[in-house]
Amino acid sequence: MTAGMARNGDGVAVPATRRTSLWQTALAKFARDRAGLVGLTVVALYLLVAIGVWFGWWATEWADITGAKWAPVSAQHWFGTNIIGQDIFQRGLYSTATAFEVGLVVAVLVVVLGGLLGATSGFLAGSWVDEIVLWTMGVVDAVPFYLMVAAIAFALADYPYAMHVAMISTFWTTTGRFVRGEVIKLRGLEFVEAARALGVGQAAIVLRHVLPNTLHILLVQMTLCFVDAIKAEVVLSFLGLGVKDGMSWGLMISESTLEFLAGHFNNLVAASLLMFGLVYAFNMFADALQDALDPKRVA
Amino acid sequence: MDVLQFALRKLLAGVPLLVGVTLLSFTLMVYFGPDKTYELLGKNSTAAQIAEVRHELGYDRPFFVRYAEYLRELATLDFGHSDSTGAKVSTLLARSIPVSLALELPGFVLGNLLGLALALTAAFHRGRWPDKLIMGVAVVGMSVSFLIVIFAFQIWFCTSHGLNWFPVRGWSAAGPLDYLAHIAVPTLATVFVALGYNTRFYRAVIVEEMGRDHVRTARAFGTPPLRLLWRNILKNCAIPIVTRVMFTIPSIVIGGALLIETAFGIPGVGRVTYEAIISGDQPVLKAVVGLTASLFVLTLLVTDILYRAVDPRVSLQ
Amino acid sequence: MAGVADEPLLSVRDLAIEFDTLDGPVRAVDGVSFDLRCGETVGLVGESGCGKTVTGLSLLRLVPEPPGRYAGGSIRFGGRELLALPEAELRALRGRDVAMVFQEPMTALNPVFTIGSQLTEVLRRHRGLGRREARVQALALLERVHIPEAARRLDEYPHQLSGGQRQRVMIAMALSCGPRLLVADEPTTALDVTTQAEVLAEIRRLQGELGMAMILVTHDLGVVAETCARAIVMYCGVIVETNATAALFAQPRHPYTLGLLQSVPRVRETRLAELPVIPGRVPDLRSLPPGCRFADRCPRVSERCRAEEPALTPIAGGGQVACHHPQP
Ligand SMILES: Nc1ncnc2c1ncn2[C@@H]1O[C@H](COP(=O)(O)OP(=O)(O)O)[C@@H](O)[C@H]1O
Ligand code: SF4
Ligand SMILES: [Mg+2]
Repeated sequence: MTAGMARNGDGVAVPATRRTSLWQTALAKFARDRAGLVGLTVVALYLLVAIGVWFGWWATEWADITGAKWAPVSAQHWFGTNIIGQDIFQRGLYSTATAFEVGLVVAVLVVVLGGLLGATSGFLAGSWVDEIVLWTMGVVDAVPFYLMVAAIAFALADYPYAMHVAMISTFWTTTGRFVRGEVIKLRGLEFVEAARALGVGQAAIVLRHVLPNTLHILLVQMTLCFVDAIKAEVVLSFLGLGVKDGMSWGLMISESTLEFLAGHFNNLVAASLLMFGLVYAFNMFADALQDALDPKRVA
Repeated sequence: MDVLQFALRKLLAGVPLLVGVTLLSFTLMVYFGPDKTYELLGKNSTAAQIAEVRHELGYDRPFFVRYAEYLRELATLDFGHSDSTGAKVSTLLARSIPVSLALELPGFVLGNLLGLALALTAAFHRGRWPDKLIMGVAVVGMSVSFLIVIFAFQIWFCTSHGLNWFPVRGWSAAGPLDYLAHIAVPTLATVFVALGYNTRFYRAVIVEEMGRDHVRTARAFGTPPLRLLWRNILKNCAIPIVTRVMFTIPSIVIGGALLIETAFGIPGVGRVTYEAIISGDQPVLKAVVGLTASLFVLTLLVTDILYRAVDPRVSLQ
Repeated sequence: MAGVADEPLLSVRDLAIEFDTLDGPVRAVDGVSFDLRCGETVGLVGESGCGKTVTGLSLLRLVPEPPGRYAGGSIRFGGRELLALPEAELRALRGRDVAMVFQEPMTALNPVFTIGSQLTEVLRRHRGLGRREARVQALALLERVHIPEAARRLDEYPHQLSGGQRQRVMIAMALSCGPRLLVADEPTTALDVTTQAEVLAEIRRLQGELGMAMILVTHDLGVVAETCARAIVMYCGVIVETNATAALFAQPRHPYTLGLLQSVPRVRETRLAELPVIPGRVPDLRSLPPGCRFADRCPRVSERCRAEEPALTPIAGGGQVACHHPQP
């Protein structure tokens, strides 16, 4: 076999060069993208904050009343307090962890669901399985997002993860379509044909040969999904369909509607800026990632 | 004749999708939707009473019979009465949809036109400072939450904490000035948020088209810039542009209206939907979801047929 | 006026074109000089990526800027300096005085306008014809390039035509205003073998009839032998040899030219998809060796070659070669 082709368990050569060179050039390109690196650094800082919350290092008093109503910014309350005297800074930090929870859960499951369904339908393109997946995507895409969420919240009654379910069941179609397209392209390539000729099972071909070659799409979709989930959470919490217990930027912003007409902006500003910082950094990171991974993307 | 046949074929192809979206909204909103038995009966009732009410509500009938009933409701636009206000759902919608259109349309059109204009500017100065500036601001627009923009603009333009130029809440279209005063801030917020996404999308489409061989050919034959823009770029981008505009109509009308109308207290279909979500008003919600989804499918079909008009490459097969 | 009459139609001097890449600027064309007289045909040959297309595009000042940049030199056409010409005058010149036919007939035409619309557009702009007149002319042009059922084709879209027919349309468009110079960039590479021969014959016939000068970019030495009076051989952004075609074929002086000729199959039943392979690799434009760019692949390489870049110098017999140790 040619150099650079790695044999795996099935005795089928996969074009290792194709995969590694994509990742190597992408890494090199990403390393030169200043905005992307800054974005990644900021995201890492936020993640650190979230980890601290998970381990109980800080923001442990987010639910306690630690001061007077609408206390101003001070050494004790860095961002002041809210309408009932809770510390806004602690609530903001705590919400960072919630954002990562929502973002990660949704992004990972979306990519898994979209990847599997997209790969299956792409691999079986033209068959009835493909038709059904395509039909499902069309149906899901036809219902406006907020209504879909409302409908799912309706059906799931008070299930605490109704929001997650709603986001996952609407967001996966984009990933699904991209993966389906890529798999249709891959399907015609030699190494997949070879695997098939050797009698490797369909599922094994998809899992071992096709999906790994769509990893770059999955990675990009995951970053985009993460951002979408965080942004959607704010709106859904405002609509009363979001985070059920705990604290989130969306809940803080909903809470602030009781405050800002009276001239108290601390809650709104704190939640908005914290959220903007993470989303903006993530957008820059996602952009750099796409530039690095997609040679044909126009920048 | 060709076009008619094409349109018919497309419509036929849309049927499974229509079945799908109605089935989905039926399953979620009606079949698994809230059970009203206890609301009507109170907690302590006999099994016989329960059975009777369930029969009256139709809960005991088979899935597909109830689905057919839902389809009939959709087709006749007769969804019964709102649980919370008692008003007829169709009347409620007939009253609120025009308000939403009057509210959303200016922002939608402006957001697309401005987005296109900014995208063209950025694309023509690709890699130089106007491009970098425009695209930098676009990412900012994409990174702020619509809700925050609404609140910020509300505080800034409509309260004594800011300029206090426009009314914070309410709706009136009595005269042109009145109308403008009420849509000004909602429109600004809509445009601000839409611009980020629109500009990026349009720029990507335009830059891709600008790199095509036929653009180089046109330049090689001395085509002046404006003509190049029209004949080679915009005409060739028509499909993605039309697609995007058509695709975003239903979600903008409902999704955008939901937040804007709630925040500004405007009695449009978004507000009606919001209240239905909050109070679990099933007759209203199933009407809105079913209608919007069906509308979306119909929009898709119209778009497909429009393609034929803008692009000769789309064959009538 | 005597001076102008003596001046060649086209005179390229020390032309340098750079592209900005992630790894910094790259010189795709590095000090190219050549002349072209009215009615003369010249073949531009070289491996893929050696700068042929960029050179051709620069003659209409069409190199995409950015990422491209004219980094130096001069291009004089008909007594005017193209690199200093204002955009409006360039537009008037493009398609009228200098026309170009591109390599990819499948994508070179605008897909959403009819053939007729695209042809008449050029005629109306450059020849000031009215709508009806332009249509009559367009029809005549299509007939001239032997497109069957020309009248029907006028109202068809590019995707309804075959590759060969599309390239004929491009040629018709290029010839529509009677240019003084035609740049044909691998006009037949994308076509199948029989179509290649037909289209090439068409170009040769029309060039003869119209008496325009032509630069034929190709990787096919056979095409040059059949079509061009003179040939220019490029390697890595520079001209390594130029001579009358007959002399070049009879006695190639640059080792690279020799390599090209030797690897042309004797019996040419099929035209080549790619230039014949010469052992070794083309150096990366980003990290050129200090001396001769061909040194790593050259059988005649010496110390001097690696230290000092050879300049293009006249040789006995009329040509020019850039080599320290030319073939005898
Ligand atoms: N748009 C571009 N961007 C960057 N580099 C380019 C571009 N176009 C051409 N080049 C550079 O110029 C060199 C010559 O290209 P070209 O003239 O197309 O070669 P060919 O002889 O095959 O026609 C290429 O190897 C490449 O490095
Ligand atoms: S200069 Fe030297 S290395 Fe270059 S072609 Fe001539 S002999 Fe070969
Ligand atoms: Mg070329």
